[in-house]
Amino acid sequence: MQNTVLVVGAGPAGLSAAASVAAAGHRAVLVEKEEVLGGAPILSGYARLIPSGEWAKDAIGRMVARVEQDPNVTIHKGTRVTQVDGEAGDFTCTLSNGGTVQAGAIILCTGFTHFDSINKPEWGFGTYEDVLTTTQMEQMVAGGKIYCPSDGRTPERVAILLCVGSRDRQIGREWCSKVCCTVSANLAMEIKELSPETDVFIYYMDIRTFGLYEDRYYWKSQEEFKTKFVKARIAEVTRAPDGRLLVKGEDTLVKRPIVIPFDIVVHAIGMDPNEENPEIARIFGVGLEKHGFIERAEHYTNTCGTTRRGIYAAGAAYGPESIDDSISQGHAAAMRAVADLHALVRKAS
Amino acid sequence: MAIHEKSLIEPDHILEHEKLVVDGVDVSGHWNTMILPRTLTDYDDDFEKVIQRYPGGENVHRCWQCGSCTNSCTMYALNVDFNPRYWIYLTRLGLKDEIIKDKDIIWQCVSCNKCTNICPKDVRPEGVMKALAHWLEEEGHTEKKPSTIFDEEFWEQVERTGRIEDSHVLMHFLRKTRQPLMQEWLVDFSKRMLRHLPFAHLFRMGWNFLFRPRTRGWGRTGQVLREWVREQKEAAHG
Ligand SMILES: Cc1cc2nc3c(=O)[nH]c(=O)nc-3n(C[C@H](O)[C@H](O)[C@H](O)COP(=O)(O)OP(=O)(O)OC[C@H]3O[C@@H](n4cnc5c(N)ncnc54)[C@H](O)[C@@H]3O)c2cc1C
Ligand code: SF4
Ligand code: SF4
Ligand code: SF4
Repeated sequence: MQNTVLVVGAGPAGLSAAASVAAAGHRAVLVEKEEVLGGAPILSGYARLIPSGEWAKDAIGRMVARVEQDPNVTIHKGTRVTQVDGEAGDFTCTLSNGGTVQAGAIILCTGFTHFDSINKPEWGFGTYEDVLTTTQMEQMVAGGKIYCPSDGRTPERVAILLCVGSRDRQIGREWCSKVCCTVSANLAMEIKELSPETDVFIYYMDIRTFGLYEDRYYWKSQEEFKTKFVKARIAEVTRAPDGRLLVKGEDTLVKRPIVIPFDIVVHAIGMDPNEENPEIARIFGVGLEKHGFIERAEHYTNTCGTTRRGIYAAGAAYGPESIDDSISQGHAAAMRAVADLHALVRKAS
Repeated sequence: MAIHEKSLIEPDHILEHEKLVVDGVDVSGHWNTMILPRTLTDYDDDFEKVIQRYPGGENVHRCWQCGSCTNSCTMYALNVDFNPRYWIYLTRLGLKDEIIKDKDIIWQCVSCNKCTNICPKDVRPEGVMKALAHWLEEEGHTEKKPSTIFDEEFWEQVERTGRIEDSHVLMHFLRKTRQPLMQEWLVDFSKRMLRHLPFAHLFRMGWNFLFRPRTRGWGRTGQVLREWVREQKEAAHG
């Protein structure tokens, strides 16, 4: 009788799913392609997380430790699933390390891929050293010092450009990445905290600090940390003769072109579908929705479902998602998987 | 060639040349009109703080440009160029030149506070309007308002003598605001006073007018007061 759930991907969603399966008294096998557990927050070195304010390595570190210490969780690092045979209740999964796993249910927690700013060359990433992504800026914050990578000087002004790699038909990305507004407002505060003489400007089309993030991040960064919000989608980032960066665009509120000097420009990069999704879809036999994320089944009664029975998903695999919601979904998907195992027991008796 | 949208361009951005040579080609006549770019090339990061130091301007940084203030504004209903939201934005980014362009309407705020009552971020736009008007006045962009001139005259006298001499305040005020001394109402008023007031009272008024005595012991008090006012101003405006 099947007593095992296979969890693919050890980010916040996968770590939560594996822990929940084990807590319910079943066995979880966690397969992660990287050598490190923790997913994007750990692999990309995020600083303090929204909304807890905890350092990523502490918060996600606890989740990692929990599964590592759980005898009911088996972990395969640096491993992928290469083949899935069988059907709901009785899957046989072949691993790239040569092993096989018999599982009653599968949970895909394969997450997302960071947008690569090179695909928006007009915004200067890869051309100018002082153009960074939010993940690089988070790493700088985690390092405790704000400086221009080009020459080490303290920036007078930092511009954060929102929606880089999101909401942009030109590059086939028609979704909102959901967390980057809040992440950017938080980053603006962290920059100001570490470097009070630096003024931070956020260039936006809309501010989507949804739910309780409104006053905690948007209002607070504006009111207490003097972040300035300018309604403009930047057209181009170039360099002035003195080496500072020039941010060009239209200030839509004054209906005027702007060319403003900055010392650092940060791209608030979005969440792309996991670049391996076509492969994942093929191996696991699940569908992808039109943007390339894993297709969600009817949610009301088939929560965390995919297009294939017995295979569930959670977190950013489904689309841009926050860590907290990814964790909740991991738990919910574990519930579905465990229920399948119980159904097998009932059927057998 | 005619520029059809000339009305959309600010006059100081249109250059018209009698004779013009571009790259060695004489383009006088046909292409004599040039338009300066309207690009904004910098922010003044400290300007917001300047306005925040005026009473009423403290919350300007909270604005998120929803436009509720402008929509509710009494003056906007009469003149669509009267736009508190816009001026608040310019203040935030330090686009001073743009504010100065509107110096002749900013002071027209009637302090009805409709904007303040509706603002979802509690920016208190009415206060910002007051702060901006004060700033424009202090920087010499707008003429002093009559009420400011009156206040100053009043204060100068108190500071000097510890009291005010009404007739002097009035005379100086009228002179500084370039109004004739012989106001009809004033002549009438004086005539009636002469007719009805007892002689001793009139005599004392005349005496005070001529010799302008100080309040007894004012010297030191005046000095302390002067000092205090100076300190307060410095504390407010650096
Ligand atoms: C700049 C930035 C900052 C952010 N900051 C915050 C924040 O402060 N707070 C917040 O709530 N959210 C934040 N987010 C969002 C957060 O990153 C996601 O919500 C979260 O990472 C989603 O977790 P996940 O487990 O679904 O996916 P991931 O974190 O992407 O984890 C997926 C895991 O699966 C593995 N994997 C992928 N494919 C395979 C495969 N084929 N086989 C095996 N393993 C595989 C990956 O290696 C990875 O370990 C931020 C996002 C960005 C871009
Ligand atoms: S969350 Fe904000 S920055 Fe991110 S894509 Fe959506 S609107 Fe743009
Ligand atoms: S107080 Fe001034 S700015 Fe505010 S609504 Fe009244 S007139 Fe308009
Ligand atoms: S109502 Fe308040 S927040 Fe809205 S534009 Fe006016 S001042 Fe700004």
